[in-house]
Amino acid sequence: MRSLQARLVLAASLVLTVFLGVGGFALDRSFHDSAKTSVRQRLQAHVYALLAAADVDSRGTLHMPASLSDERLQRPGSGLYAQVEGAGGAVLWRSASELGKQIPAAGPLVPGRWAFARLPAPQGGGLFMLSFGVAWDTGADGGQRYTFTVAEDVAAYQAQVDRFRRSLVIWLGAAAGLLLLVQGSILRWSLAPLRAVERELQAVEAGAQSRLEGAYPRELKGLTGHLNALLESERRQLARYRDALADLAHSLKTPLAVLRGALDPRRREQLESVVREQADRMNTIVDYQLQRAATSGRTALMAPVNVASVIERVVNSLHKVYRDRDVQAELRVADDILFHGDEDDLMELAGNLADNAFKWCRHRVRVSAHREGQSLLLAVEDDGPGIPAGQRDRVLDRGGRADAGVSGHGIGLAVVADIVTAYGGTLRIETGELGGARVRAAFPGV
Amino acid sequence: MRVLVIEDEAPLREQLVSRLRADGYAVDSAADGDEGLYLGLEFPVDVGVVDLGLPGRSGMEVIAALRAAGKAFPILILTARGRWQDKVQGLEAGADDYLVKPFEIEELLARLRALLRRAGGWSQSVLHCDPLSLDTATRTVTLAGVPVELTSYEYRILEYLMLHAGEVVSKVELTEHIYDQDFDRDSNVIEVLIGRLRRKLDPDHALNPIETRRGQGYRFALARTPS
Repeated sequence: MRSLQARLVLAASLVLTVFLGVGGFALDRSFHDSAKTSVRQRLQAHVYALLAAADVDSRGTLHMPASLSDERLQRPGSGLYAQVEGAGGAVLWRSASELGKQIPAAGPLVPGRWAFARLPAPQGGGLFMLSFGVAWDTGADGGQRYTFTVAEDVAAYQAQVDRFRRSLVIWLGAAAGLLLLVQGSILRWSLAPLRAVERELQAVEAGAQSRLEGAYPRELKGLTGHLNALLESERRQLARYRDALADLAHSLKTPLAVLRGALDPRRREQLESVVREQADRMNTIVDYQLQRAATSGRTALMAPVNVASVIERVVNSLHKVYRDRDVQAELRVADDILFHGDEDDLMELAGNLADNAFKWCRHRVRVSAHREGQSLLLAVEDDGPGIPAGQRDRVLDRGGRADAGVSGHGIGLAVVADIVTAYGGTLRIETGELGGARVRAAFPGV
Repeated sequence: MRVLVIEDEAPLREQLVSRLRADGYAVDSAADGDEGLYLGLEFPVDVGVVDLGLPGRSGMEVIAALRAAGKAFPILILTARGRWQDKVQGLEAGADDYLVKPFEIEELLARLRALLRRAGGWSQSVLHCDPLSLDTATRTVTLAGVPVELTSYEYRILEYLMLHAGEVVSKVELTEHIYDQDFDRDSNVIEVLIGRLRRKLDPDHALNPIETRRGQGYRFALARTPS
């Protein structure tokens, strides 16, 4: 079942069929019952009318009037029949309608008892038959017993039921059709955003647009949001590679030109120092651009990284490297702080900042991370000489560093600045509580 | 001092080996992780230089295997990528320091000296045992402030003894850590060198910086001067 629409339609149709089937069956049953009840009530009224019309003389002979209230009893084959049986089962009186068609005897009944039955007929149809036992007080020896019976053809009842069934099927069918129609349009309407996403993705693929622009319902916001984040990080990654490649090519041109110039025979004595200098410079450039291209930045659907464990690993490693320095590193990072980004980036950032701090501190280094609203704040400080206010911008500016080379904090801070930028964050250098440099990185919503 | 170099790039390895030999180290070298691990397990290495990107067994695995086998000598890792992920993993595997390629060979030598000092419990680059001073960076020795002229092998022996000041060092151990593999262990060249050192460092027989422990070896007897 590949299509959501097909699934929903199938499920809804099944449910609808079951509901309408059960409902129709229940309606049919209850109509049957009430129709039967009304037949019985009608027959009962006829029995009472017969009783009222009957008369028994002092000799105990039953007399029935020639004309009865319902003319159907007079008309042969009318479908309504009546008869009176004596105590011995002999039929004492038959209505005129029984001419040519005799109804079966009901048999003697205890006085006051009713008997109702549907008698099937061999040629189809059948009869509803209601009998009533009567004791007629004639004044002598306990009175005479009679059984009054009225019967009606099933045909009328059947016709009524058939009519009802027909209209029931028509109306239920119409309701089902209407419901399916309505449901179909609700489905189309509900699934329209999915089709819109598909169309927009096709447009993105074709290059006509760069992200999903439509206003989507809440249930799809997560999906479209992540798709947009994925598209965005993909595009940024591509842009970073392109930039890094272009920057690499351009920034290598200068040292190459200097090297070529150094081949001038009149400047032979400077060759060694020039080669060394330019090789260093090219190395710095290559390092920097490699680091920059490797920064992945915020990517969608990335498992969050525990900040405390990454910083602990970095600081433990640095303790090993700077074993001679007797550095006291203080970590102020709660265990539950998470970084929603690439672990490699976080380690690169923490490694570079902490390495500088270890390098420049006298004895103390402090690494802290905490959340402020939606932002993650990460700060590394030391008790070293700090960075003069005038140089702070230059330290962070990769151009300044890559060419002029601010001594000390080296390539590290420029890499950190690039990582922070890749996550849409900000980086600040200030004077910390320990007296030395404090580098603060703020990541909004990471 | 015996250095183990595990580096798969032949030009770099050869450059390192020749420079280290020229600087007075005994050097074992390997081009892949398996051979390097074998050398590290079988030879009395003082310090290792291990490239992380090795064919076959990786540098990380070599270091972990050496540490698992109880080898405690300091290890410097060389990495081309320079990402912190690599550095941290290498240091966690048991390395003691890292150097990102390309590097100046002087930087590597300085790092190795620092690692060797630290392994001997010295925190300064000048080993000071009053009145004797040995500067590991410049490879010079002074006695009460006066420079002492030593040959390369004399210096190596003194450096090894001073790095292990207070410990008894056998003649075999000295030989192994100072000479390359093809040295004839039966010769009495160590005794000759020790004798010459004593004459240069203690002409008056007043100091007795190098004791002879009969049947055991030698011991540098001057107390370390706290810095």
